[in-house]
Amino acid sequence: MITNFSKIYKNTLFRYSLLGALLFVLSLMIVAVSVYYATVTSELNRVDKLVETEHSEIQKIYDENGFQAVEREVTLRTASSEGLYGLVNKRVAIGNLFFQEVTKEDGELPLLTGLEPNEFNKVAFLYSNPHSEENDFKDRRARALVGPIRTENGIAAILVVGRDVEGTMRTGLKVRNAIFISSHIALILGLISSWFLSKRFTRRVDAFNKLADDVRLGNLERRAPRNYSHDEMDMLAEHLNGMLDHIERLMKSMKYAGDSVAHDLRTPLTRLRTRLESAAIKRENTEDAEVFFSAAEDANGLLKTFDSILRISRLETGEKRELLINIDPKTLLDDLADLYEPSCESAGLEFIAITPKGHIIKADRGLMSQAVSNLIENAIKYTPKGGKVKLELLKTSKGLVEISICDNGPGIPLADRERVKSRFVRLDKSRTQPGNGLGLSLVDAVAHFHNADFILSSIDNHNTKRPGLRAAIIFPKKNIK
Amino acid sequence: MRILVIEDDKVAAEYVRKGLMEAGHVIDIANDGDLGLEMAQATDYDVLVIDRMLPKMNGLDVLKGLRASKDTTPVLILSALGEVDHRVEGLRAGGDDYLVKPYSFTELLARIEAIGRRNDPSGVVANLKIGELEMNLLSRTVKRNGKKILLQPREFRLLECLMRNSGRVVTRTMLLEKVWDYHFDPQTNVIDVHISRLRAKIDKDFAVPLLHTVRGAGYCLQE
Repeated sequence: MITNFSKIYKNTLFRYSLLGALLFVLSLMIVAVSVYYATVTSELNRVDKLVETEHSEIQKIYDENGFQAVEREVTLRTASSEGLYGLVNKRVAIGNLFFQEVTKEDGELPLLTGLEPNEFNKVAFLYSNPHSEENDFKDRRARALVGPIRTENGIAAILVVGRDVEGTMRTGLKVRNAIFISSHIALILGLISSWFLSKRFTRRVDAFNKLADDVRLGNLERRAPRNYSHDEMDMLAEHLNGMLDHIERLMKSMKYAGDSVAHDLRTPLTRLRTRLESAAIKRENTEDAEVFFSAAEDANGLLKTFDSILRISRLETGEKRELLINIDPKTLLDDLADLYEPSCESAGLEFIAITPKGHIIKADRGLMSQAVSNLIENAIKYTPKGGKVKLELLKTSKGLVEISICDNGPGIPLADRERVKSRFVRLDKSRTQPGNGLGLSLVDAVAHFHNADFILSSIDNHNTKRPGLRAAIIFPKKNIK
Repeated sequence: MRILVIEDDKVAAEYVRKGLMEAGHVIDIANDGDLGLEMAQATDYDVLVIDRMLPKMNGLDVLKGLRASKDTTPVLILSALGEVDHRVEGLRAGGDDYLVKPYSFTELLARIEAIGRRNDPSGVVANLKIGELEMNLLSRTVKRNGKKILLQPREFRLLECLMRNSGRVVTRTMLLEKVWDYHFDPQTNVIDVHISRLRAKIDKDFAVPLLHTVRGAGYCLQE
């Protein structure tokens, strides 16, 4: 599940549509906050202003007409308006607050505990009017200003002026709930739609990825699926298919040309060689025979080079990959070790083969044998007498199967290690040796055919004269059983 | 042996005819698949040599036609297509051996003679003998002049292949195919080294050499 999520989270479309959903929720919040402000906060501010005004009106009445006028005014206002009032000093307690149960949300009202604040305090509290005939009279929210009625040199009384804000607060709660619910719904819908969108998109992109993989593996006849909706993905599929048609046509004509060349060139070359051979046999034991035999050999070499080129080209197209089967590289390498051990011995080289059991690779025995044989022959050819050639099968630290051939010969300079894999590249030092410069490119082509890596490295960098060469073919995980 | 060569390249066919005649065989040539199949069915040949790419009827179809009519004449397929799957395809269609162009004439001759011999009723044997050299295929022992010679398993197979074709040239490619099952040409003289090891075991202590090198062709085991 977690890996599933992290997989879907990596999906670009999913991220974008999720971002879209989040932005939508954010704008929804902004709208909701402004609605909340317009309804609740501004109403509460109005109430605060109102009670302040009333308080100062009553203070003014005191200043002009004395305390009795204040008592009358408060009694009057209590009776005629919906406000909450309380006027209290050591003598009197007037107003409707005293007939009701009043609790401050965070404790007692200072007024009722006998405290005498001489500062103005804004308070929010709950009250219940047991005498009310309304249904929801209990624990209604109210806001009030608690402050002194000042005399010239003291405090005449404490006056509480308040308003019931239960209605406003309930509207506020409704707005908040609405925000909460709608943003969650928007977020969930956003997630679901992102998931669906990305699933749909991913399915189509996956189809393209699979197509690309298949084509790379040599299945040139594969095409991208189309739904003919002419949307951008469908157009992409159409263009890809057009490109693949073209590539397939080119490959076919190239293959056809290759095959025709193979047929048309090999036949006269065969004749040439046969003529040279029969001429050589007729002149057996004469000086001419030598010339004809070596001419036949040259023709043979020419044909072998030609064969190698054709073989590399075919491998590079990746055709016939389905021929790969599970084989034990141990048997393959043991057979080669058996074939080449005597050659090593006669070249004065020590030959070591380390081929443990228990690895299975998906490979073509013939091609792999040829590749490894090329590498062993190179090692034998370039390693001076008394040297060492090691054929090894091992599991790398990443768990990949690796076949390597090491020698302690002159090696290949770092700068040339990629270049030597190209066709007909021969390093200056090797020009005196027989060969056609196709050996390593064939190995490279065989490795690619198996989706394997072909890596050349040196063994001992400190030995500048003979750093040695390590040629490794590393099989990818999916080809290892 | 009486051999039918079905090959559309007239010049190549002519060279093959000349060479095989010199080697003492009787040769007929057909230049297309239709004619080839007709001739092969009309006459009892010892070996058929069929080119894979033929006008009118493809070489493999000729072969399939023959095998369908219960004709078991040994067939050598010639082809310019050298990849392994083509070889397998050819052998599966009923071919006895497969030779990729360009082949050397000696290679062709050696292979024709090797498959032609399979028609001999004495195909299954327990003992092979060339002069003083004896091989017992059941106990897997080799003796020369009554003296036991110890061979590695691969050397035994190498010698067996040479003994089964004694008196005939066996090419390096044939040895590589039959003893090691490899269908590619190594760039080096890897077979020669094995032969010289074998020679050291069977010929070194004896006056008359049995294992001969044939210049430009391969090896031959004979008295």
